[in-house]
Amino acid sequence: MDRAPAVLQGDVGAGARVIRWLEDEDPRGREHLARLYPHTGRAHLIGVTGPAGVGKSSVVDIIITAYRARGLKVGVVAVDPTSPFTGGAILGDRVRMQRHAADDGVFIRSMGARGQMGGLARASFDAMLVLDAMGYDVVLVETVGVGQDELEVVSLTHTTVLISAPGLGDEVQAIKAGLMEVGDVLVLNKADRDGAHQAMSQIELALHLREISAPDATWRPPLVAATATRGEGGEAIVDALQAHRAHLEDTGEFAAQAARRAYHVFVRVLGDVARARLLDEALIRADARALIDEVRARRLDPHAAAATLSAALRIGALEPLS
Amino acid sequence: MAKTPPIRILLAKLGLDTHTVGVTVIAHALRDAGMEVIFSGLKQTPEMVANTAIQEDVDVVGVSSLSAGHMRNIPMLARLLREKGGGDKLLIVGGVIPEEDMPMLLEAGVSKIFTMGADTRDIIAYLQAWRAAQAVAAPAS
Amino acid sequence: MNEPRPPRDFTPDPAAELEAHEASWRTETRGPYLQRHPERKEAFRTQALKWDIKPLYTPADLEAVGFDYLKDSGFPGEYPFTRGNNPNGNRSQLWTMAQVTGFGRGLEWSKRARYLLDQGLQGLILEYDLPTTNGYDSDNPLVAGEVGRAGMALDSLEDLEQAFDLPFDKLKYLMSVCNAPQPINLAMIIAALEKKGVDPKDFVLHIVNGILIEYTCVGRYIYPPEHGMRIAADCFEYIVRNHPHWQPISIIAAQLQPARANPVQEMAFSISIAMEYIDAMLARGFDIDTIAPYFHFVINVDMDFFEGVCKLRAFRKTWAKLMRERYGATNPAALKLRYMSSPATASLTLQQPLNNIGRLAIMATACALAGPGETMTTPLHDEAHALPAEEAIRVGAAIQHIVAHETGVADTIDPLAGSYYVEALTKKIEDEACAEIDRIKAMGGALKAIEQGYFQRVLGREQYERNRDLETGARKLVGVNHLVAPEEKRELEIWRLDDEMEQTQIEKLRQLRARRDNPAVEAAIERVREAARSGANLVEPCLEAVKLYATHGELCDALRDVFGVHHADSQTVGV
Repeated sequence: MDRAPAVLQGDVGAGARVIRWLEDEDPRGREHLARLYPHTGRAHLIGVTGPAGVGKSSVVDIIITAYRARGLKVGVVAVDPTSPFTGGAILGDRVRMQRHAADDGVFIRSMGARGQMGGLARASFDAMLVLDAMGYDVVLVETVGVGQDELEVVSLTHTTVLISAPGLGDEVQAIKAGLMEVGDVLVLNKADRDGAHQAMSQIELALHLREISAPDATWRPPLVAATATRGEGGEAIVDALQAHRAHLEDTGEFAAQAARRAYHVFVRVLGDVARARLLDEALIRADARALIDEVRARRLDPHAAAATLSAALRIGALEPLS
Repeated sequence: MAKTPPIRILLAKLGLDTHTVGVTVIAHALRDAGMEVIFSGLKQTPEMVANTAIQEDVDVVGVSSLSAGHMRNIPMLARLLREKGGGDKLLIVGGVIPEEDMPMLLEAGVSKIFTMGADTRDIIAYLQAWRAAQAVAAPAS
Repeated sequence: MNEPRPPRDFTPDPAAELEAHEASWRTETRGPYLQRHPERKEAFRTQALKWDIKPLYTPADLEAVGFDYLKDSGFPGEYPFTRGNNPNGNRSQLWTMAQVTGFGRGLEWSKRARYLLDQGLQGLILEYDLPTTNGYDSDNPLVAGEVGRAGMALDSLEDLEQAFDLPFDKLKYLMSVCNAPQPINLAMIIAALEKKGVDPKDFVLHIVNGILIEYTCVGRYIYPPEHGMRIAADCFEYIVRNHPHWQPISIIAAQLQPARANPVQEMAFSISIAMEYIDAMLARGFDIDTIAPYFHFVINVDMDFFEGVCKLRAFRKTWAKLMRERYGATNPAALKLRYMSSPATASLTLQQPLNNIGRLAIMATACALAGPGETMTTPLHDEAHALPAEEAIRVGAAIQHIVAHETGVADTIDPLAGSYYVEALTKKIEDEACAEIDRIKAMGGALKAIEQGYFQRVLGREQYERNRDLETGARKLVGVNHLVAPEEKRELEIWRLDDEMEQTQIEKLRQLRARRDNPAVEAAIERVREAARSGANLVEPCLEAVKLYATHGELCDALRDVFGVHHADSQTVGV
């Protein structure tokens, strides 16, 4: 049954089912995405990231409230870690936003990172595309924390919200992780806590350094203080988000980013497919197995072994060591 | 080489009762059995739970009910699920349910009632058996 | 030149001798026995703490923990109170024997209350339904089906006026269990007593006022934690200033047990919570010697006999040390832990309920041996089945009397002291609890720990572990996974209050709203909001408002307007 028309009408059950198929790598997911893809590109895609404990879900909650007050429909993809041992997960982000469960203009989808199944970014990004096709004006993706996968998501959205909070030492962490370079809207949550002023100053300093190192940048990321548990700050954050969207539209970046994103996903998916295929075929070869034995016995180092095999497969620029 | 996708289950607490020992224990047990557990939080209305179940496209809705409102809330939840197209989701209930109320709940759409102190392994086995039966009935193409 | 050899010393070294003897006992005496009779379990561990239990404890174990009788045990009625608060134990007076009572709508409660007073009981506990404890009126659509089920529905002063149709000459003590809406509840009780012409000096009202435990594990909260704490401090202060012989707090550590807190966690979390209240009151200008004596705990004893006994002893000692060393208290009343003890309901089983009588007797004995505090409460053996039946009440009372009069355990003070196992375990529990208290303090105290979800996560983990133990059989529970009887017909006597009762309450509210002076009520409610905003004490404005028949829900909503509402997330629920 073709659910694409229902999805395009905004049918919640249909959209949810397609997302499930995509997540489970059911081929019906890909089929539907093919039909839905031409209808995407309208929604403002926003990544929400930051270290554990800063209150990401609470901030997403007040962002939803503020967008709804402005009459916009909001989709949310909330990602939680999957146990590498059991494959199970407790997806608890939704609890923080659950007051919106009775609002037809809000769609919240919890996802397990499911590390084994191809990585966080693809299933989450696909879900965002479906929500885009369903007609949500804004789609937020809330990530697990700070790390490689999360940077992936950052590159797949228009706007990145980077959240920190006083007293967690994350101002320093975030700088170290290089994320200060990618945050478009910075939020200091728990602004009522001790140390908020110091934290604000540190972040402002980091922003200043960023400006100096990128003087041509046309967007100056605002720093917004919030106390999400009290419902404070949502309006200001959404003002900043809408301003960033306007900026992207003005500079033509809104569409250009989408093009880059599509290319990026294409390359990534191709790479994943190629890698899987190559490894499947290469590793069962007799010469591969012999090389592996040599490596295991410490008679050959892994790089040399890889160079030899890739030369034999006629792939790569690695020269065999003679 | 695709792994079997995990069962997705929504655990919800309907009504004003705030005992969480049961859901906590079950949530962890199900996670350890490889399932994705979505927790709705406390003080949910049937409408909130039904909407959540549809958005999350869960396989199973598990309701914990320790206060006395079950005779009203649970049938309402079952009805809302059907109305929103989620009638094929498995609906199970745990908690303090008097025996004389059970037939009515089963009539209303509940598939199984696990009374207080039910072994989590029984719950897991039941869900896995249900999942296996679904796969036989409608294999994914 | 060689160093002169030291003179040889033949003084016997008792410790070395003991050690040698123990070693030989293990190999020569016990060893061969073990060969023929291997132990019945792989590991022996205490039930909740899961600490290893040695086969034998000797004086060497006291040495190992640095036990010093005067410092660690002392004498009853003297610091550090390990051996008891009362200098004569239970030899002059037995502990007060109490039981839980009460349920249902105002009129039902009065009927039962009058019956119990006629039976000679002097104290009663007022418990409320879920709408009331969560701050809603009976006619709020959110609470349909819940009215009057878990306890009394208290919508307005009118409900209490009806409930208080009681012989107040017999009733000397009333405990009210209503945490989140405490100032409204307190105001209604004060107003109702006034209407009945009861002199507050003739009577002790005890409010539980225990909002922090609600955030931790019980879940009946309304406002964000910092405001919940302010509300609790307002009620505390009001009582201390206006009715200083009333009781403004009860830290029900026992509520942590169904949430599976082990003894160390129970002590550390509940004492840290008490400290949060103490600090709040010190900040309001009171001194420790005035405030500390108000603290009252409810402490459970569970089936692990020695964990229970040692916990109670360690609890007294830890409290005393904290009050003196951290707060500098000098008033002896400030150093004594005031508490009520109770066998835990968490270990009573649904299956084979008569077995619970045995369990209750054992736990009551543990309480009596360790020092039961001011009062011991016995839960009912069929409590898992819902509501108190007459016979269960009688049995519960009989258990306490049997322990008190037939066993002799109450005839000498702290008889288990000096046991090598008991003293070693008491000291260990004390040390671990103090370490945990320090950890919580480093987080910023109990309120911060709660806001960060620390207590809740710890308890969530315990719940999971303990349940697993039961399922895997690592822990045996008779009737549940050991000596299971064939499926018996269980008569679940769930109380069936008719829906008509809910309708009656709704109608009552409608009439109340129609006949009261609504503009005056509105103005009074606004003054409550102002007090909430300005930081003034909330009890006085609530008192004015309830006398004008502002409803419970209306006043709770007024506070919601100012404080907002607390949304738990999965972390702060513990899932």
